[in-house]
Amino acid sequence: MTRQDLVGGGTDEALLGGAEAERTGTRGPAEGIGYFARFGVTETLIRETLAAALSRGGDYSDLFFQHRVSTSMSLEDGAVNRAFTTVELGVGVRVIKGDQTGYAYTEELSLEAMRSAARTAAAIADGPSRAGPQHFHVFKDLPKRYVLQAGWDAVRPEQKLPILEGLNSAAFQADTRVAKVSLSFSDEHGAVLVADSTGRIVEDVQPMTSLYLSCVAEQNGKREQNAYGVAGRAGLDFYSRDRLDRIVREAVARTTILFDSVQPPAGEMPVVLAAGSSGILLHEAIGHGMEADFNRKGTSIYADKLNKPIAHPFVNIVDDGTNEHARGAINVDDEGNVPGKTMLVENGVLTTFLHDSISARHYKVKPTGNGRRESYRHAPLPRMRSTYMLPGPHTPDEIIASVKKGIYCSNFTNGQVNIGAGDFTFYVKNGYLIEDGKLTRPIKDVNIIGNGPKVLEKVDMVANDLVIDEGGWTCGKDGQGVPVSQGIPTVRVASITVGGRNA
Amino acid sequence: MSTTNSTSLEETARRAVDLARRHGANEASATAGRMRELEVQWRDGRVEKVSEATTRGLSLQLFVDGRYSAVSTSDLRPDALDRFISDSIAMTRVLTPDEHRRLPEPEFYAGRASLELMIEDPRQTQLSSEERQRFARELEEGARSADGKGAILSVTTGFGDLSREVFRVTSNGFEGGSRSTQFAASAEVSVQDPDGRRPEEGDSGFSRFFEDLPSASALGRRAGERALGRIGSVKGASAVLPMVVDNKAAGRLVSMLLASMVGGAIQQKRSFLDGKLDQQVGSPLLSLSDEPHLKRGLGSRLFDGEGITSRPMALFEEGVLRTYFIDSYYARKLQTRPTTGGPSNLSWKLGTKDRAGLLADLGEGILVTGFLGGNSSALTGDFSLGIQGFRVRGGQLAEPISEMNISGNQLDLWKRLVAVGSEPYRYSTSRTPTLVFEGVQFAGT
Repeated sequence: MTRQDLVGGGTDEALLGGAEAERTGTRGPAEGIGYFARFGVTETLIRETLAAALSRGGDYSDLFFQHRVSTSMSLEDGAVNRAFTTVELGVGVRVIKGDQTGYAYTEELSLEAMRSAARTAAAIADGPSRAGPQHFHVFKDLPKRYVLQAGWDAVRPEQKLPILEGLNSAAFQADTRVAKVSLSFSDEHGAVLVADSTGRIVEDVQPMTSLYLSCVAEQNGKREQNAYGVAGRAGLDFYSRDRLDRIVREAVARTTILFDSVQPPAGEMPVVLAAGSSGILLHEAIGHGMEADFNRKGTSIYADKLNKPIAHPFVNIVDDGTNEHARGAINVDDEGNVPGKTMLVENGVLTTFLHDSISARHYKVKPTGNGRRESYRHAPLPRMRSTYMLPGPHTPDEIIASVKKGIYCSNFTNGQVNIGAGDFTFYVKNGYLIEDGKLTRPIKDVNIIGNGPKVLEKVDMVANDLVIDEGGWTCGKDGQGVPVSQGIPTVRVASITVGGRNA
Repeated sequence: MSTTNSTSLEETARRAVDLARRHGANEASATAGRMRELEVQWRDGRVEKVSEATTRGLSLQLFVDGRYSAVSTSDLRPDALDRFISDSIAMTRVLTPDEHRRLPEPEFYAGRASLELMIEDPRQTQLSSEERQRFARELEEGARSADGKGAILSVTTGFGDLSREVFRVTSNGFEGGSRSTQFAASAEVSVQDPDGRRPEEGDSGFSRFFEDLPSASALGRRAGERALGRIGSVKGASAVLPMVVDNKAAGRLVSMLLASMVGGAIQQKRSFLDGKLDQQVGSPLLSLSDEPHLKRGLGSRLFDGEGITSRPMALFEEGVLRTYFIDSYYARKLQTRPTTGGPSNLSWKLGTKDRAGLLADLGEGILVTGFLGGNSSALTGDFSLGIQGFRVRGGQLAEPISEMNISGNQLDLWKRLVAVGSEPYRYSTSRTPTLVFEGVQFAGT
């Protein structure tokens, strides 16, 4: 079977066709709008809901419709013996008065339910009713950053099974020490529609997929475990031979090397971050602190650093919504704004914050397309997309050779930050000791802790080998998770606290 | 909650099980739920955000010719639901059969206690938006009352409450539901440090009954004091020292321990506690049990997520591991009896001293008041965690510390537990007291 029936519609092409028809005005309001026509969403419904939302004089209102079908299949003990599907359908109504927000949502797309949610959100304001838009225009020039051969609603579950079974056998064949393999294959067919009180309507169909292999190995009675995965806004053809081989190779190698790994010593030392997922440093040390909500409130350590030098002149950092098929890429943010590439740090100078529409109004700048939310159950917030550092003047070999005694970090599991104090951590799962300019013993399981602005100043070498990681990173903020990407070239941090052991 | 509403949840769940059977499932379970949440966020003297939502949904476990899937939907339109179930069953059919995937044997549904758990507060339906706002405003006033020097930059507070109702039906005879309420209050305070940092700290409270929340002024004041206490924090030297973890923070350490006790981790050989049943894995002071029938408890329940009847259960007795959390699937794979899939409320064997008494006994060491990031391997027990807190000298709090880290192995750490406090943290299901460990590796300068 396919999941086409489940969502009651056709493939992506048909959906886009529907949206196209709406754009050219060949459909009347009674027939509904684009993808959401199937749920009875019409211009009339939107107009009346927005009118209720502005009934107490809010400055602005938007509706966020979302339909998302997420499926995952898991393999354990050699069998693909469980599957999970979640269907989400609902609309969030937001009313803004100044920088105050009223928010409500409903999972029933009837006029009555939506009007009731709108009146609830409207209560943030307390004044005479304002008129909503009488006419709508569908935004036409959305970029196409994740065009698929086929949407996930058209992929049959039978097509995924052999991929999982093949990876399982390959992992056992790769090394006799492999004792347990588990796999998880997830995909998402999502659609969003933003309609706002200026009369703008924007639609996007958003795919997502990830494949994750976790492995336990056994050697002389000792066990270790580790994992590797890839993710992207892509379709089934994302799983090329190369990527699948890499999943097995990396997951097994990252696990078996743990038998020979030690924990590094504790204390301050130079740290070299490998190109790729080490971009977690940027996400935690700087990215969150540059989200404009924290700066608008004066609670970020970066609040008074705009247009000031905060790093060496060869440090350039961007937050980018445009990398094709990246997990953090978007054609449109969840407030209806088209994101581009935002320079956060240019030649070492902090150039802008990351804005949603509330903070953009506050700072009197254009929104940067960073208004994102987990689902219709949440109001949008300024959030990162794909955050990375541009290549610098050094080479990776030069950087490693420059360190007398320190560590090299290549693989990470998680990170966290205190925005105002600037203290942040990231957790290293694999790496190496550096002794006299050479990688020596492998290391494992160590939390690195530092202070964002201080560490950024101490990034004193940047190589020319930028890699944007393909891992399935999710950023958490205010209880909401959104997909993000990150990347970095090989860099050296002159000194940072390594949470190792001195035993 | 009206009776009419709960009848409709029962009907939805029964109808879903019937539909699943009609479309070809041999066995099925359905849980229908509804939740209503209200929240006000307050910042620096006025409302920042008000939100209100009602969510409803249905989740189903489907057992089809030895195959299994679990699905859920918020699209409850009758046509959509019918199509959703038939499509889900079609998807299930392509999976590999697994003899261990069945509903729990009905014997595990038996013996449900007939207790009033007191987890629904009738006051919740009567709270007005003015009362929510007043609570949030008083939280801010409480926080600002802690500040004599104008160091506070911003205060964000919040008050929220919710009611939740679920009803579960299985095709082999289980029926049961619950109605509960929850209240949450929080205050986050951001302060100006002379060195340019803007540290934030806060406090929060969660409860089943409104009257069990701390008073807004006391909670706010504590949040303010905690934030002001961060001013001037420094990174201390790397050292091996005694460590006190206060009761609010200690839940993090306990959750690392419990993660290695679940059936999936044991069966998949991903637990450092595998093979350690009835062995000494902690100091004799490590004594805790699972107490599902605690009145007004945040985790209280009469049956677990599978319908298995809840019973009090010893987890550690004087450092000896007594049980794992095993659901019916992993019980079959491990050829043992299921206990329950996860903890409800923890109950600790408490000591006699409060935090101040424990610090006085400690003399020299570090008090941890919060963790920042880090991780622990459920398989090896190795951990490395960021911390913040205070240096303790002569039994008294000295300078605040940050940018430090602790590392070790859990099998070693829990043997180093040398004292347990007298006051459990009431606002979490792990209800952890203050814990004291000797000889912990700290990393700093």
